[in-house]
Amino acid sequence: MPDFTPFLVSGLALAATYVLSAVGIVVLYRASGVVNFAQGAVGALAAFISWSIVERGGPESLSWLAGVTVATLVSLAYGRLIAPRLVSTDPITRAVATLSFALILLGFMGYLWGEGPRRLRLPTDTMSFELLGVRVTLTRAIAFGLGVSVTAIVMLFLAHSRMGLQMRALASNRELSAMLGVRVFRIDGWAWVISGVLAGVSGVLLADLQRLSGQTLTFAVIPAIAAAVIGRFASLPATVAGALAIGVCEALLTPVPVIGPFRSATPFIFAVGAMLWMQRKPVFVYR
Amino acid sequence: MTDRSLEGVSLVASSRLPLREIAVGASALAALYFLPSYLSDYWLRVLISVAALVVASLSVSVLFAQLGMVSLAQYGLLGVGGWFALRMSHGTGAPFELALLTGGAAAALVGLVVGLPALRMRGLYLAIITLMMAGAIQVLISAFGFPDGGAGILGKSTGARVMMARPFLAQSDPAYFRYAVVIAAICYLLVLAHLRGRPGRAWAMIRRGEVCALAGGVHIVAYKVWAFALAGFLAGIAGGLLAGGVGQLDGSAFPASQSIMLFALTIVGGAYSWFGPIIAGLMLRAFPALLNEFHVDGNIATMVFGVGLLHALMTAPQGIAGQLADAFRSVSKLVKGNGGTTA
Repeated sequence: MPDFTPFLVSGLALAATYVLSAVGIVVLYRASGVVNFAQGAVGALAAFISWSIVERGGPESLSWLAGVTVATLVSLAYGRLIAPRLVSTDPITRAVATLSFALILLGFMGYLWGEGPRRLRLPTDTMSFELLGVRVTLTRAIAFGLGVSVTAIVMLFLAHSRMGLQMRALASNRELSAMLGVRVFRIDGWAWVISGVLAGVSGVLLADLQRLSGQTLTFAVIPAIAAAVIGRFASLPATVAGALAIGVCEALLTPVPVIGPFRSATPFIFAVGAMLWMQRKPVFVYR
Repeated sequence: MTDRSLEGVSLVASSRLPLREIAVGASALAALYFLPSYLSDYWLRVLISVAALVVASLSVSVLFAQLGMVSLAQYGLLGVGGWFALRMSHGTGAPFELALLTGGAAAALVGLVVGLPALRMRGLYLAIITLMMAGAIQVLISAFGFPDGGAGILGKSTGARVMMARPFLAQSDPAYFRYAVVIAAICYLLVLAHLRGRPGRAWAMIRRGEVCALAGGVHIVAYKVWAFALAGFLAGIAGGLLAGGVGQLDGSAFPASQSIMLFALTIVGGAYSWFGPIIAGLMLRAFPALLNEFHVDGNIATMVFGVGLLHALMTAPQGIAGQLADAFRSVSKLVKGNGGTTA
C-alpha cells in the first residue's frame, strides 16, 4: 500500500485549479448561456505571458498579474465582440464558437512559444511548511486557499450583490430582464471578466503545478467542464464538490500500479456517471 | 409574392438518360486512373490520407447536418478503428477488407457505448461528453500505442515494427490511392442509401422538431443512436484506411485537438453539401502539406482554421461548399441570362 498523503496534498492543489476554472465556466454559463470551451486556452495564454516576462528578467510578482490581466482582456474582447453576434443561435453553436476561439489561441501560442518542456516558476515554490508530516509548498497552499475563497466570494456575490441578482435574472430569461432594464451586454461583459480572471489564475497555477504547455493547459478545460456537468451548469456547490473529487481522485491514482497511467480519464468517468445519475428518473428532455 | 421555386422544374419525372451524371462519373474515373502518375510520392501519400479523412469528415457531417449533433470525438474514433484494424490484420492475417470492417464495427460500438448516456439528453451534453471521450481516447492510445505485429492482446512488438498488409488488389501507392478513393465513394453511397431510406426520413422529421417526430411515431433516441453508430462506423473505416496507407499508426497522432480540428473543418468546408467533406479532407492534410512546402509554421493553419470556423458559424453556415455552390449558381444564371437576351 503506497503512502497516499503527499498525493492527497498535490491533489487538493490540483483540484483547486479545477475549482477556479469550473466556477468561471458555471458563472459565465449562468449569465450568458455560453459553455466556454476556451477557458483552458485563456488560462494557457496567461501562463505563457507570465513565463515570457519572467524569462526576459521582468519582476516575478508583476508577471503573473500581467498574465491574468491579458487573459481577462482577451476573454472580455471575445465576450463583447464575438459572443453578441451569436446570441440568437442555439447553445451548441455558441459552445462550438468558443472552440474556434480555443483553436485560434492554441495556434497563436504554438506559433509564438511552441511546445517544449517548460514549467512556470512562482516565487512561492521555494517556501514551504510542514502539515501532517508532509511538506506543503506555499503555491499549493495558495492554490487551495484561492479555490475555497473565490468560490465563497462568487457565491456571496451572486446571492447578495445587485449585479449578481441581474446575472441570475439574465440566466432565467434574457428578453424579460432586458425589458426590466438590466443592461444585458454590460452584465454579460462582467461575466466574461470574471471568467477570464478565474481562467487566468487557474492557468498560471496549473502551469506551475504541472507543466507549461499550450495543449495540456488548453485541455485542462476537460476536468473543469466535467465538474460543471456534475453541477448541471447551475449549482456552484455541486460543481466545486465535483472538481474537488476529480482532482483528488486523479492525484490519488498516480501511485496505483495498473490504472495509474489512465488517471487523466477520471473527469470523463465522473461526467458519464453524473449524466447517468441525472437520468435515473425517466424525464422527457427534448430540445 | 407567389412561390416560383418550382417553375423551372418539371413536376413529371423525365426518363431521359442522366447524361450529366454519367459524364461526371466517367471523367472522375478517368482522373482517378491518370492522376497518380502525375503526382510525386509525397503528394500521393498526402492524397491517400486526404481520402481517408474525407470519410472521417463525412461522418461528422452526417451527424451535424442530419441531426444537428456535435461530435468532437470522431478523430479519436478514427484511432479506435485504426487500432482494431491493425490488430485484426496482424493477429489473424485477415484480408484488408475484413480488417477494415472490424475497425468500423469496433469504432461504432465504442462510440455507442460512450455516447449513449448523452444521446438521451440535450444536444450540448453530447458535445461535452464527446470532447471528454476524445481526451480519454488520447490517453488510452498514447498509453497502449498501436499494434505493430507483436504478440499478446496489445500486439506491441519489441523489435522491428511490422507494416499492415495492404489489400491484395492495391499493393503499390498509386493502386492504394485508387482503392482508398473507391472506398470513400462506397461510404458516400452508404450515407446516400441512409438518406434515401427510412432513417433519412426519420432524421428529417427529428430535425423539424422532436415533439413532432415523437408524435409521428419516430423513436427519437433509436434514430439518434443509429446516426451515431453510422458515424462511428465511418470514422472506423477512415482509421483503417489511414492505417493501411501508412502501414502503421503513431500513438501520439490522435490528440483531442485533432478531433476538434476535424469538426471545425467539416463546418468550414460545408457540412450540408456532399462536397464539403472533400474540402475538409483537403484542408486537413493537403493545406498543412502545402504550408510545409513553403516552410510556413503549421500553427498558422490552426489559427486560420479557428478563424474559418468562427466565420462559418457567424455568417456562412453552409461553409465553403455552400459559397461555391452559390457562386456557381450566379455564374450560370449570368451565362443563361446573357444567352436569353441574344437569342
